[in-house]
Amino acid sequence: MATLAPGVQTGPYHAVLDHIHPEPTSFIRKYIFSIDHKIIGIQYMITGAVFFIISGLLAEIIRTQLLTPNGLLVRPDTYNSIYSMHGSSMVWFVVIPLLTGAFGNFVMPLQIGARDVAFPWLNLVAFWIFPVAGVILFSSFLVGAPDAGWTEYPPISLMGPPGTNLWCIAVFMIGISSTMTGINFLVTILKMRAPGMTLTRMPLFVWAQFATTPLSFIATTALGGALAALFIERVFGVPFYDPKRGGSPLLWQHMFWFYSHPAVYIMIIPGFGIISEVLPTFARKPIFGYKMIAFSSVAIALLSFSVWAHHMFTSGMVPWLQLPFMIITMLIAIPTGVKIFSWMATLWGGAIRWKTPALYAAGFIITFTYGGLTGFFLAAVPLDYHEHGTYFVVAHLHYVLYGGSIMSLFAGAYYWWPKMSGRMYNETLGRIQFWMVFIGFNCTFTPLHWLGLLGMPRRVPNYDPSYQFWNVFASVSSYVMALGTLLFFYILVDSFRNGKKAGPNPWGARTLEWMIASPPPYYNFKKIPAVLAAPYDFGNPLPYIGLDAADGAVEATPTHSSHPVPTH
Amino acid sequence: MAQRLVKPKTNLGPGFWPVTAFIVVLSLVMAYFIETSAEPIGLKAAGDPAGSIDALFRFLGVVAAAIFNAVVIYTVYFGIVFRMPKNAPPNTIGVQIHDAPVLEFWWTAIPTILVVILAIYSTKIWVDLQNTQGDVLTVEAIGYQFGFAFRYPKLKEPVVNELHLQLNEPTTIHITSRDVLHGFWLPEFRQKADMVPGLVNTIRITPNAVGEFRIICSEFCGAAHGRMIGKVVVQNQQDFARWFSKQGGTQGRTGGGIAISAGKADAGQKLFGEKCSACHSVGAFEQKQVGPGLGKLFNDPAHPKLVNGTDVTPQDVARLIHDGFQGDMGVMPSAQVNALSNADIANLVAYLAGLSKK
Ligand code: HEC
Ligand code: HEM
Ligand SMILES: [Cu+2]
Ligand SMILES: [Cu+2]
Repeated sequence: MATLAPGVQTGPYHAVLDHIHPEPTSFIRKYIFSIDHKIIGIQYMITGAVFFIISGLLAEIIRTQLLTPNGLLVRPDTYNSIYSMHGSSMVWFVVIPLLTGAFGNFVMPLQIGARDVAFPWLNLVAFWIFPVAGVILFSSFLVGAPDAGWTEYPPISLMGPPGTNLWCIAVFMIGISSTMTGINFLVTILKMRAPGMTLTRMPLFVWAQFATTPLSFIATTALGGALAALFIERVFGVPFYDPKRGGSPLLWQHMFWFYSHPAVYIMIIPGFGIISEVLPTFARKPIFGYKMIAFSSVAIALLSFSVWAHHMFTSGMVPWLQLPFMIITMLIAIPTGVKIFSWMATLWGGAIRWKTPALYAAGFIITFTYGGLTGFFLAAVPLDYHEHGTYFVVAHLHYVLYGGSIMSLFAGAYYWWPKMSGRMYNETLGRIQFWMVFIGFNCTFTPLHWLGLLGMPRRVPNYDPSYQFWNVFASVSSYVMALGTLLFFYILVDSFRNGKKAGPNPWGARTLEWMIASPPPYYNFKKIPAVLAAPYDFGNPLPYIGLDAADGAVEATPTHSSHPVPTH
Repeated sequence: MAQRLVKPKTNLGPGFWPVTAFIVVLSLVMAYFIETSAEPIGLKAAGDPAGSIDALFRFLGVVAAAIFNAVVIYTVYFGIVFRMPKNAPPNTIGVQIHDAPVLEFWWTAIPTILVVILAIYSTKIWVDLQNTQGDVLTVEAIGYQFGFAFRYPKLKEPVVNELHLQLNEPTTIHITSRDVLHGFWLPEFRQKADMVPGLVNTIRITPNAVGEFRIICSEFCGAAHGRMIGKVVVQNQQDFARWFSKQGGTQGRTGGGIAISAGKADAGQKLFGEKCSACHSVGAFEQKQVGPGLGKLFNDPAHPKLVNGTDVTPQDVARLIHDGFQGDMGVMPSAQVNALSNADIANLVAYLAGLSKK
């Protein structure tokens, strides 16, 4: 570390760590049981994509069933299992592992200038739990899949098919995996940043992962306890939840939502991070309000622990308790709004290149805002009395989870694809794919708002004939969305076959991962660079010194002679 | 690799103010239509408190529409105005601005004020709902797989899947479930409460339109959840009274169709040892195990009513054993849970009646 330029603040990086392990040579150690965060990230990505396709097919069965008022395709009990598996899988086996395990693993260590995460072996274990848990979850189809929704409220879940036990085990396992990842990332971010990378010089994606970590390992504990109790009650008959035997069904709801509300932020804050990387790069501007974006993620994460009962306004609790839960829920809208305005201001005055990731980021702003606003309608207790348990909630949650999390995943996938694969994708196809998903998505889920308000409850295989028109409209639109998703995978395959070489930095981005070759070398950085400033000043020379040309560095040393635009 | 910095125009953009004016006008027009619409959620109202909830919906709708218009239109507008021109050199960059504290102050302060106003308004409506009176008629709604049973104070028999209400009569509905969770949703009244076994939730409504309205189960409850619907029948005073007396005509006929007189006490004693003694002693009421002692059930001046508030007649006891009950002490399981036939119940009642004579 003797190469530090004068004036560089030393980060918590220790010279002791400054050695490079040899790259493993066997196929198994390199690609199967790898401890390299990049390989693990890609493993998460592939596994998550497989579950995404399966859960997407389940979703299309749901929409096909709802083409006719009496249900077109499957028996009611089969239908119940299908949407239960769809929801469980999308939440725990697609969105959470993709946003944290996949993108967190691949991108975050590169962005902080580290060679790996703090605990690479823990990372390996956390990953391998994921496919095993997924297989357990889906094998429940062989014995009767769980049928009481992804929320599995007792007492009905106590009577559910045997697969419900497998569901408990699988979700419990994925919870352990996510706890491990949370701790791993927290330590990595706190301890392994490159010298000079102070907290306020971290890229916003790193901030987002940072804010997510406590949610992963604090909230998941409550879920673990709840699942263990459900399993024990189902298998050994200890009455935790069965009211007939002195248990309390509301206990489950409290424990479940004490986890699952923070979990919705596990599912969106990393998405905020992706959007905050994509927008400056394609607007060629510093992110607007860096500190507000960074700190509001932390504020949202903390507040999210005290709003869980907004899922239970009709469940039955002391009436006055509804008020604090309503008010705190509404407060979360403030930091969320601040983020949205900051992203819009980032677009303002930019030199925007509308590549696919940027389109997805803009689409995200619009759909996520819509979802946040309907969240407000649900948070107002008197309105929630009408809306709870209806398709209005389904519409809200898809606007935030599909229009938010999945759109941000698409943005991130297109953005970092050249870094991961070393190849560009077909931009024209990418844009077509965006419009298919964006239009298909909105047409699928907007009508569900008014279906819910008019009287269509959720989790039903049949409905009143008067709702048929909008259901058919939604189903047909969902096919467009599905075709868009297929096109996405085609684009990736096509990129492998025909894609141009990407080079280290095809987007002209400024965070550290773009300073090295694509795909990055095994050790990431032969020499750990020093960081002089926050990454987003497009007018300034790159704020890194000591990048090693052997890593495919964009510029080994800053060579700008132009006058830097003053930062303030 | 020197970079040439090309500064784009740093003004708000050519059409900023016209676009802003458009957003304002559009939002005002939408506000007008939302505020003046009689059925903002597209659903007619059949009574209180639907009116105040619709008002809250309108208010939120106006604010949400304005925010959404602003976000969408500015995003699209910035996206078009500030896109990189085709002929711009590839290293063109945007305005290098990091923040604007005044702007940020306002876009935090204004939403905060809005949130406070909306929270206060929602709280006001919530308080109104808590204070609505509804005690003229009290009905008990009990969910089961897959239907709703309604009990009226002066009717012996529960009414299934039809909730008859009297026009303009404030009504309190106590809601619970016999088996799993159900949801008791009255969309035309904008009210809903979960039906939770072991818990009583309450909603209060005042119907103000004669007609039939929907009751929809809104909480997943099993394979036929999608078919679990009932109806509210709002009637004027005469019709309601006629209906009520017709139902009342069945009063006292049987204990829920159970032929009590055929009961045999000795068979009842055996059953009691198998199914009841885990929770009940044959001592006095106060000798509680899980439930009260049943030794003086029919002859206990200190407890002239059953725990569910009904009289201590053989029919009422039979009905309690048949339906089960949930009170302060805990759950008295239903006959379904205890696997009791009607004959079993008759035997048990005979046995309990015998105990009280000793
Ligand atoms: C799981 C425990 C349990 C079992 C088994 C049980 N009961 Fe009960 N029973 C209760 C409880 C608890 C109450 C009181 C409910 C309350 O008011 O909270 C009760 C109340 C009663 C009452 C009303 C008593 C009163 O003074 O109003 C009668 C009658 C009764 N049970 C009969 C029976 C019979 C007959 C059986 C057997 C078929 C039986 N119970 C089995 C728990 C049980
Ligand atoms: C301003 C922000 C938000 C507010 C005010 C809000 C409010 C609410 C409320 C009150 C409910 C309960 C509705 C009911 O069941 O009656 C709800 C449901 C839900 N929300 Fe949000 N929400 C917000 C953002 C989000 C985000 C960011 C996500 C996820 C990325 C999310 C995911 C969900 C999900 C999954 C449900 C449904 C859970 C279920 O019952 O299956 N929400 N939201
Ligand atoms: Cu929530
Ligand atoms: Cu139901």
